Amino acid sequence: MPYTYLITGATSDVGRALIERLLADAPDATVLAQGCGDLEKLADLCSRFPGQVRPFDVDLSDRAKVDTFVQLLAASAPAPTHFIHLPALPVVNAKFKAFDQTRFDRDLEIQVHSAVRICRAVLPAMAKAKFGRVLFIQTSYTIGCPPKNTAAYVMAKSALGGLVKSLAVEYARFGVTVNCVAPSMMETNFLKDTPDLIVQAAAEENPMGRNATPADVVPAMAFLLSDEARFITGVTLPVTGGSAIV
Amino acid sequence: MTEQEILSAVQDIFRDNFDDDSLEITRSTCADDIEDWDSLEQINLLTAIEKKFNIKFKLADVRGLKDVGDLLDLVARMV
Repeated sequence: MPYTYLITGATSDVGRALIERLLADAPDATVLAQGCGDLEKLADLCSRFPGQVRPFDVDLSDRAKVDTFVQLLAASAPAPTHFIHLPALPVVNAKFKAFDQTRFDRDLEIQVHSAVRICRAVLPAMAKAKFGRVLFIQTSYTIGCPPKNTAAYVMAKSALGGLVKSLAVEYARFGVTVNCVAPSMMETNFLKDTPDLIVQAAAEENPMGRNATPADVVPAMAFLLSDEARFITGVTLPVTGGSAIV
Repeated sequence: MTEQEILSAVQDIFRDNFDDDSLEITRSTCADDIEDWDSLEQINLLTAIEKKFNIKFKLADVRGLKDVGDLLDLVARMV
């Protein structure tokens, strides 16, 4: 069965590295790649894997647009065998007294509500096919004691963690696994709003002496998406260099 | 910029960061004097100072800071 990967947040550094990894040895696979106003970042992958990457420009903070997106997919694309949900607003380091409710609501739409709506659309076909892989990206901040000043980010990611566990149990009998990876601070464009000092301090405090990179995280994602990981579900896999240990 | 002007701006940053409008800092104020002043708060202070003075610290620059006096001297060298 040729695989169809639905990847939201596909234009991110991790998304693009994951697409490259998934398509490297899979000439019959298709990636349905969602981005928001930045599809040009997929141009290189589109030319390297002609016909295999189908970009979609969708604002996941808008529920009506998410619903239109899933209807469009149902009408025009093969049913996804794999769903990988990556989008999030960049983490901001802010004290709770400066909590930005509007931004938090938008982040919940992008990270959580869109995930729920897309899962409701794609899981029935996976269950019917008795095969499916769903994968989220969480954060090591949800393991043990989170750092101060990250309430919005930790809450949104914790909601995803609840979704993962709940779906894992509900869909296990249908051959559908639902997991997440939980990287420590990863040096990507996602950190554009994080002060350099915080990034440098995290690297110094990490037992491996550096922050994570997409090249550290993508292999863990590829494993959880693989056929071989069929008996692993409901898991949060830390990819942290030892900075957060379950 | 005089040391007094730097101190005054840094004091505003401390007051905002620690949510205490009556906080008075001096050259000898250190982490032991302010209950919430831990390593993360120190980074928050430093990033706020970077923004205020339009300067950029390196981790090596700020690792040895013992008190506000060291911090003021560092800022004075960079502005």
